[in-house]
Amino acid sequence: MTEGKEKKYTTVSIPTTLFKKIERRIKGTGFTSVSSYVTYVLREIIAEDEVPEEPFSKEDEERVKERLRALGYLE
Amino acid sequence: MVNYIVSGLERSGTSMMMQILLKGGMKVAYDTKRKPDEHNPRGYFELEGGKIINRLMEGTFPMEQYDDMVIKVTAYGIKYLPKNRRYKVIYMLRDLDEIMASMSKMIGEKLSKEDRIAFEHLNNLALKILKERGIEYITVNYNDVVKNPRAEIERVNEFLGGVLDVDSAVKAVDPKLYRNRKEVKK
Repeated sequence: MTEGKEKKYTTVSIPTTLFKKIERRIKGTGFTSVSSYVTYVLREIIAEDEVPEEPFSKEDEERVKERLRALGYLE
Repeated sequence: MVNYIVSGLERSGTSMMMQILLKGGMKVAYDTKRKPDEHNPRGYFELEGGKIINRLMEGTFPMEQYDDMVIKVTAYGIKYLPKNRRYKVIYMLRDLDEIMASMSKMIGEKLSKEDRIAFEHLNNLALKILKERGIEYITVNYNDVVKNPRAEIERVNEFLGGVLDVDSAVKAVDPKLYRNRKEVKK
């Protein structure tokens, strides 16, 4: 018998109403539990966040500020 | 206590969302220092005559006076929101070309490609800050609101905990004000 890597889990709280909505949503899908669905969604979001974005540079900031002054949003 | 914030780039429909929330029965804070004009015929719905960002930057804006009220803080102001408060942010999104066209008209000068990139980066930064600070927020697409106001306002209402009178709020959306629309070539 080979031992696989032990998966560690923890608990997070979500509103009961949201839990029930998710239960309804996953009916008839491949998700076997609310936890597996929530894990999937959160992984997707985290992966999205990991895509490097071009930063808001000093040059961008100066340009934006100049335009905001012209638009009347900054002094 | 919650501070409700309507945000997004300038010309992304923030004033329209303020009107929706006002019509929907929320307490909306604004002054009339900045008068309605051809660019915003129904008004700007801003505090400090639109210069709230300056007050936030200086740390002199009394956010606690606006507990449970809606205020408008456009994208550049997000990073200056005082910490240790609870916010619920409705962040408006709109086609960036339409935003640029609308800003160009307002400034009276065609904005450059570099301007577009800078505002795109600002948009990304504002959303990133909301995520990193764990602020509750919802993104709402201006064009979707104009096309299907009831569905979008119901989504906003769910985010706000069901406090809106949706029937009344829907009346705030006037498709005639949907200008600077991007032309779709057939």
